[in-house]
Parts: sequence; structure tokens; C-alpha cells
Amino acid sequence: MILLQSPSRFLLQILKDRVVSGDKGVDIDCHTVEFDDVRYHIQFSMRNPKVMVLSVALPLAPPEAILHDGLPLGAIDAIKAAYGAVVQILDPPKDCFDLTMKINLTKLSTDEEQRNVVLTQIASVREVVLGAPLKLLLRHLASKTVAPNVDKLVALVHRPNESFFLVPQADKVTVVYPMRFQDSIDIVLATSFLQEFVEARRTAALNNAPSCMWSPVPPLELKGVNADALDANAGFVTFVVFPRHVEGRKLDKTVWSLLTFRAYVSYHVKCSEGFMHTRMRRRVESLIQALDRAKSDAEKLKKLVHGGSFRRLVCANINQTCI
Amino acid sequence: MANTLRLYLTCIRNTLEAAMCLQNFPCQEVERHNKPEVELKTSPELLLNPVLICRNEAEKCLVETSINSIRISLKVKQADELENILAKKFLRFLSMRAEAFQVLRRKPVQGYDISFLITNYHCEDMHKHKLIDFIVQFMEDIDKEISELKLSVNTRGRLVATEFLKQFI
Repeated sequence: MILLQSPSRFLLQILKDRVVSGDKGVDIDCHTVEFDDVRYHIQFSMRNPKVMVLSVALPLAPPEAILHDGLPLGAIDAIKAAYGAVVQILDPPKDCFDLTMKINLTKLSTDEEQRNVVLTQIASVREVVLGAPLKLLLRHLASKTVAPNVDKLVALVHRPNESFFLVPQADKVTVVYPMRFQDSIDIVLATSFLQEFVEARRTAALNNAPSCMWSPVPPLELKGVNADALDANAGFVTFVVFPRHVEGRKLDKTVWSLLTFRAYVSYHVKCSEGFMHTRMRRRVESLIQALDRAKSDAEKLKKLVHGGSFRRLVCANINQTCI
Repeated sequence: MANTLRLYLTCIRNTLEAAMCLQNFPCQEVERHNKPEVELKTSPELLLNPVLICRNEAEKCLVETSINSIRISLKVKQADELENILAKKFLRFLSMRAEAFQVLRRKPVQGYDISFLITNYHCEDMHKHKLIDFIVQFMEDIDKEISELKLSVNTRGRLVATEFLKQFI
């Protein structure tokens, strides 16, 4: 899997099991975390086996990102538009969560294909909620206008206490990510990955992709942002999104990939560390073999004789037991 | 470049061949003890002059010899930050498995990346020339592994970036 999928596998599996399994009323009460930032709390009660209560905790927003009632701009509308009658938003949400939804599985359509579409959409709640403001801005870009009552520089939360920035204009939207990593190895690997993004964009096949820049210092677009938000240890990545990238059906995909860019890079950094370990282990094995070759024949002979006598002993034992 | 590497390795091989003539030597201070003199340095007449072989500033090899033990310390080239991290990670990985290697020192000598400690017992157990072969191969392998790791990180980065950008087209 190279690209991240937007529905949460865990959530989707639980929903599908519940819909298929019929009336088995089992209590489910479980928590899960996705990409180390969004928390889900899933509840099914015995009394209403077909009603799921799903609570979502969004990453803690930094001061520059503006929230409306604890949710990103336009999130409520996006939920209503995406799910319709199946989902009911509970107000206020549960303690420690930002959004609580009641999902009534009896209201799903009986047609399997259609049902799966809705379930997948419920499992992609992250995209719907966190992606709402991004989608709003990019939809305006598709129609080549600037969204009204939007600042020149919009900060959107995507990690606990971290945000990325958008500069919406009529003909393009500039997206800037300050990249932060905790581990020193992660920082170095991520930096080299990010530079590869710039290199890859230069190839002819990707001529139509959004232009991509990487710089160790904050780009000009971020002038005036407070210093805390600009404290990035792996540099700044800038994508320039043009209307052709958000036309029609491409919009959802673009929203998702921009929203999870940091998670995507971090996922692959971890993957390549894992790959390195496998390689190193193999190399250690081959080096130990090389050292074994240096051992003198006398020692090898000693081992061999010992092994032989052991085998004889075992044979004798077996013979005895047979008799 | 390959040529200078061969010269460097040949030089190390010859030095090791000359230096590795170890004999059993019990400790002079404590009865029934037998310690590697190169580590303890109890008396100057048991030590020989250390030899430092440099390929360039970043790559060098220090060979310290004594009557019953020899210590070889290597410094691996680290051209940029990525190589530095990879080398550190890999050599740490090796040092943690020092027991499996027997002749590897758990901690490198200060200023070097990795060290070997060979005692007269190792020389008795193993063929001397094959032990030297092992050390030279070890040096070659480390260089090769680090450059391959670096290449694989870059290839992976390119692939990841291409796949991500392809989504927008």
C-alpha cells in the first residue's frame, strides 16, 4: 500500500460486521486512534443493536487555527450533506470529544452496493470533518472565485498543536506545510524524501502536477505568522494547486491527499526504517558467516565429533526403548 | 576511486599481517589473570607503536598492538547528514550484536566509529589470514551497505513522491 486510504479500516469493519451479522446484540465499546491524531470512540448498546454512537476527538488546535464550536469551518454542513438522514449529530458532544454522532443503521438502504457506499463514507469521517474547510476553499478555486469572508492566510489544524497554511486566490491556492518530526533519524529521512518531491515534480510525466517547493526557511507566504507555528525542523513544503487539480471528481482525492500529506510522509519514513532494519539484519548474518569461515578446522572437527557421538547416543536410546 | 580503496585496504591488510603475531601473556600484577594488554596498558614494554592509516580525513584506521592483543579502530566516511545517520544506525546495530562477532568491541575507541579487539585466544581458534580477510571484508561491506542504504532511501523517496503527485493528474 503506497497511498493512504481515506476510510478507516477499523471503523469500516465494525460497521460492516454489524450490518451483516443481523440482530446479534453485543455490546461494543472501543477506542481507536488514527494517524496518531484523531481518536474514535465506538459504542453499540444491547438495547439498540442497530444504533452506533461514534465520538470523534480531533487533534488539539493551535492558536492560529480558527474553530467554530470546536469543529473546523463548515464541518456540520459537510456531515449533513454527506450522510443525510442516517446520521444525527448529538449536541453537546461527549466529554473529551469534539463530535458525537448517532448512526442509525436501520435507515440504510437495502441495496448492498449503495449501503457499502454509505458505510465507506461514514468510515471516512475524518475526511469529512477535517477536510471540510479545505474542500470549501478548493471548491471555490474550481469555480475560480475566492470564498467570501475568508482571510488571506488560512490555518488549518492537521496534527495536535500543528497546522498547515493556505493562501486562497482566485486562480490558485498555495498550501504550505511546516514539517516537524520528533526523532533525529526521522528528520533526516523526511528531509531527503521532501527533496525528492521537488525532484520528482521536475520529470516530464508529472508536468501537470501541482508545483512543489521545499525550503529550510519559511516561505514568503507565511509572513506575519507567529514564530511558534513556524518552528519546523524538516523545512517547509509548498504546493500550488490550480483549478485543473480540483475539477469535478478530483476534488475529493485532492482534499484527502493534502489533508494527510504529513501522515503520508511520516508513514513512508517509518516504512523505510523498517526496511533498513531487515537489510541490516541480513548483512549481519552474512558477516557472521564470514567470521565462521575463519574458524580453524580443528574446532569444526571438535563440533562434528561431538555431534556424532550425540547421535549415536540417541540411536542407542531408541534401540533400548524399542527392545 | 576504486583504486584508492584497494590501496587503502591492501595497506591495512599488510599492516595487520605484520601486527598480528600474538602470544599468550599472563598478567604481571595479578596471578592467574590474563588480560588484553592493549586495553589495560599496564607497562610500556608490552606495547608496540600504534599505526594510523588514513585514506583521507574522514576515513582512517588505527591499529594498536600489544604482546597478547590487537585493537583495530575504524572511522567510516560520512559525506552528508543522511550518510552520517545511516552509518551511525548501522554501526550501532553491529555493536549491539558484538557477542555474535566475538572479535568486535562493544564500544568504539573515542574518535572512531567501530573497533575490534583480537586476543591471542582468537588467533588460536581461527586462522590468522582468514581473520584478516574477515576484517577487510567487513570494511568493504560497511561502505557498500551504507551507500546501498542511501540509494534505497532515495529511490523510495522518489517513488513515494511520484505516487503522491500522480494523484493530482
